[in-house]
Amino acid sequence: MRKKRIAFFDFTSCEGCQLQVANLGEVLLDVLDIVDVVMFREVMSEKTEDYDIAVVEGSITTPHDVERIKEIRKKAKVLIAFGSCAAIGGINGMKNNFDLDEIKKYVYGKNAGYFETIKTSALDQVVKVDYYVYGCPIYPPDFLKVLKHAIQDIPYTTKDVAVCAECKLNENECMYDKGIACLGPVTKGGCNSWCINSGNICYGCRGMVKEPVKNGCMEVLNKYNIPVEWITSKFNMYNKTLESEDKK
Amino acid sequence: MEQYVVLNKNDFDDFIDILAKLQKLVAPVKRGEKNYAFDEVTSSSEIALKYIPTILPPKKYFLPQNETLVEYNKKQNKREGTLYSEPLTIFGVHTCDLAGIQCLNIVFSDRPMDANYNLRKKKILVIGLECNEYCDEYASCALMHNQYPNGGYDLFFTELENKFIIHVNTLSGEELIKKMGMIKPASEEDMKGLEQLRIKKRKIFKPEIDISYSNLHPLFEKSFNNDVWNDIGNRCLSCTNCTNVCPTCYCYDMGYDTDLDMNSGSLIRKWDSCQSRPFATVAGGESFRPERAARQRHRYMRKFNYAFDKYNRYFCTGCGRCSRTCMAKINLKETINTLIKTVKAEK
Repeated sequence: MRKKRIAFFDFTSCEGCQLQVANLGEVLLDVLDIVDVVMFREVMSEKTEDYDIAVVEGSITTPHDVERIKEIRKKAKVLIAFGSCAAIGGINGMKNNFDLDEIKKYVYGKNAGYFETIKTSALDQVVKVDYYVYGCPIYPPDFLKVLKHAIQDIPYTTKDVAVCAECKLNENECMYDKGIACLGPVTKGGCNSWCINSGNICYGCRGMVKEPVKNGCMEVLNKYNIPVEWITSKFNMYNKTLESEDKK
Repeated sequence: MEQYVVLNKNDFDDFIDILAKLQKLVAPVKRGEKNYAFDEVTSSSEIALKYIPTILPPKKYFLPQNETLVEYNKKQNKREGTLYSEPLTIFGVHTCDLAGIQCLNIVFSDRPMDANYNLRKKKILVIGLECNEYCDEYASCALMHNQYPNGGYDLFFTELENKFIIHVNTLSGEELIKKMGMIKPASEEDMKGLEQLRIKKRKIFKPEIDISYSNLHPLFEKSFNNDVWNDIGNRCLSCTNCTNVCPTCYCYDMGYDTDLDMNSGSLIRKWDSCQSRPFATVAGGESFRPERAARQRHRYMRKFNYAFDKYNRYFCTGCGRCSRTCMAKINLKETINTLIKTVKAEK
């Protein structure tokens, strides 16, 4: 069997998720045994138009992005939305909090006219996506799992269970017990509660579970005396893009 | 060998030092403000003798969260069952958690017997520790008849003023005691002290809810269509905390994990929770329990109704973990009280 040819692309993002791949360490050698990396700007100069799997980082934020991602989709047999920006819009979605013209002026000043901008989209709001790797940055073991599934052409679903589940299994002290707002209860797990294990809160970078309960959450906040703004401001950081419209 | 022996508190440090050198030792340690967890210790100073139930019960040592059951290699056409376990001593298990381990023992020795669980269990030495007072307001151990030791341990420690009275319950426990030079037989006076403590406890530990032990099962049998489940369902976040921390929840999921060579791999067993939607979702996307109310009802029924039918035993130990950990403050004692009120009113 021919090794699958894998190419990395980036749109609006920090390329930190690709760095996570470059930083895989020894495991990277095992990855290279099973795939041919044919394009990866972060670590190599070669370029090609011939690839099987497109690993795409970043969100769609300009008309040019739309054209480019459509081209990539045409050439790739498999498309993986890689990291929060690609999978759920991520922090680029904060732009959607503002009027587009206003925010363009705020960023580019008098040169705003030279730049075209559109509302931030996750990849699947523009093209069909086959696999998702969530997280900001991606959780490396999660990426390896998705990659193995993609190579074998078998579907992969991130289990629709909150971060709390894994957090409890790691026996972390609950942030709410400390009076700190945390997005764990409404955020899709699979990261092994990475942040909370290290003493941080969950910022919801993996997107929301399918059925977050609004009423229940409001009641929890009331009980712990946590203002709802603490939650909404954190929520808007990663989850603004998919808020108003459903995924395609 | 005497059935009851005594360890002076002055010798406790030495006892733990020796215990930790014999084999891996885990005990409750402080984890954050009001949380405790079972973790590896090497000296008595790390152990929290006064602790409220740990975040996860000791079931994590009997039924690991991620357990490799089978390893395979396609090229070599090999597929072998595996068991990863090591000799382990768990010190300081409260009576509620001993009851939890007993429940798991029943389930996993039932046919088809779970070989991995039972082989692992054989390597675990359990040392219980009596609660002289209530841990907190969430516990309902007296209602569930678990405030006193009722088997399920090798040794059982009861703290008196300046000593521990130790009940030796098994041969392994007896062998361990023989290795501890500082342990003396219990005198009549010691036994009196133990008796007095138990009498004192009778005044402290009283059924936390006004219902008899035997009436719990009929109560839940009549509660299937009760409104309380909708109320709980509206508040539940499906975070799955209640089942993960439960000492008797044992449901698991299994899945293959291929290694990066795409040739070898393993079959892995993981804890699962009936509170998540995927749990009862089948091929085609249909779910048997799509509503949170139905999922919460299922959890309660598994503790007080179905398990009783099957094993003639409640699968609630009264440890209070589910209520303690619930962010939405879904409280077991409140639920049962509501059921008592509403089921009576229905008559």
